[in-house]
Amino acid sequence: MSAPGSRHALGRSARAAVTALMCLLVVANLLPLLWGVLTSFKADADLFRFPPTFFDFAPTLDHYERVIVSGFLGSMGTTVFYAAVTVGATLALALPAAYAFDRFEFPFRQGLFMLVVASIPLSLGAAALLIPNYVYFVGIGLTNTWFVLPLIYTAHQLPMAIWIIKGVIESIPRELDEATIVDGGTHLDVLRHVMLPLARPAMGAAGVLAFVGSWNEFVAGSVMVDSPALKPVQPMIYSFIGFFGREWGPLTASATLAIVPILIAFALLGRHIVAGLTKGAVKG
Amino acid sequence: MRDTRTPFLFFAPAFALLGFVLLSPVVYGVWFSLQRVEYGAPTGYGGLINFRRLFDGDGLAGTFGRTALHTGLSVVLTVVIALALAVWIDRLKPRFGFVVQTIVIVPWIVSTVVATLLFRWVFVNDIGIAAYLIGTVTGGVSDLLTEPGGAMGLLVVVSVWKRIGYAVIVLLAGLKSIPDELEEAARIDGASAWQIFRRITLPLMKTPLLLVAVVLTLSNINTVETPLILTGGGPRDATRILAIDVYERAFAVFDLGTATALALVMFAGNILLVLAYVRLSRWKA
Repeated sequence: MSAPGSRHALGRSARAAVTALMCLLVVANLLPLLWGVLTSFKADADLFRFPPTFFDFAPTLDHYERVIVSGFLGSMGTTVFYAAVTVGATLALALPAAYAFDRFEFPFRQGLFMLVVASIPLSLGAAALLIPNYVYFVGIGLTNTWFVLPLIYTAHQLPMAIWIIKGVIESIPRELDEATIVDGGTHLDVLRHVMLPLARPAMGAAGVLAFVGSWNEFVAGSVMVDSPALKPVQPMIYSFIGFFGREWGPLTASATLAIVPILIAFALLGRHIVAGLTKGAVKG
Repeated sequence: MRDTRTPFLFFAPAFALLGFVLLSPVVYGVWFSLQRVEYGAPTGYGGLINFRRLFDGDGLAGTFGRTALHTGLSVVLTVVIALALAVWIDRLKPRFGFVVQTIVIVPWIVSTVVATLLFRWVFVNDIGIAAYLIGTVTGGVSDLLTEPGGAMGLLVVVSVWKRIGYAVIVLLAGLKSIPDELEEAARIDGASAWQIFRRITLPLMKTPLLLVAVVLTLSNINTVETPLILTGGGPRDATRILAIDVYERAFAVFDLGTATALALVMFAGNILLVLAYVRLSRWKA
């Protein structure tokens, strides 16, 4: 439904008003980000100037220096490691699971897949799941380890990844896997030589969502690990709020640095994100 | 293929992880909530002691009320604005539509911590750009974050702003799946744009709209970062909603007993929403 015909009913001025309103909404979406990025390059004198100034200031990197001295780059490195492990583990577990659900008949298949679907929004339940998760992991001594966060993040990203990848496997002709089997190949060969190459776009979508999800995660990251070497980026920014107080220069600098990897991922694979989300049921 | 061993081996690792991280903590949490808890450690069976302390404590009713207000307002506003945006984007030329769509998604891609922090900076007392603009319009320097109504209002605004992009993507996908012929036919029959929207588009969008509403409700109820960073639950308790209440019980007051009890109450609510989600999402195995 993209035909423009129905516009005729609206008057020219009404149409202009709608467009202006919508453009305003689009600007409102970007303004806080732009304002934050600009702030991070302002010296304190320009930062606290009143009325506020947009572009009339001499840019400085002082705030970035302070944030980096406080260990922010190390935290970013830690988070890249967490996100990379999460993406790898998520895809490695999701591809065979999606293949099993699409190509095999086995008992309780429907019920088990329903559990996967139900887990998609369940992993959104940060606040509700976090406390039981925390007391349990403290109980069995998993907190404060290098793998606890990738473990949690992978579990959070996995259901969505299975769903997305299964959607694509559905469209891969069964003749291809049967041909491999007839030629004496195993199901592992099918996974490696048929599914892996053909499901690559879906794995890109699932992978970039897993990356963004683990990079942006805050709650588990803030309570499951204590040691500064294990702290991911988002809790680090939160602790800066206590540390820098009302010094908005360093705060906006750390926020800007934290956005950069996300924007890079989005620029490179943004189409995959939209495609992955459009596939069906999605997280908010 | 009728082979049960291979598929089992293929999905078992994934299920083992989901069971370990998502399911077993809930079972452990139920056990934990029935224990007497001292200094964060269970010291013996206590029956419903934590639940009794939770419900006898002050302010829980207020917290539930504020949660309902915050989530209700946020979900309704997000859905209405996102639907308008999606209808608009759907009619744009594909290229331009893609650009607009990308811009709309940006706040959703950015982390809630960063988004909320930047929003607070925009509205912060006396030097924030929005505080300044509002001040020039109303003739006085305003500080919304120190007034109860203003703080709750801003909390809703951030919650809506953060999630519009997600809602737009899902609704846009729904709009694109409506066959053009339906609306074309109505137009030829002389229906107005509003009639077409009201009688054709809206009924066909029922499932995506409900799905979006369910996911947004879950997400709003469970987001800790926004109230934590924007207001810290204040001024006084004006923005103390469930997510921050359960977080602070556990990690600021260190009362893990009532925190676990409250988390389980929230979890039960989440399960209801998850069931609605499973029904709406039209999955098939």
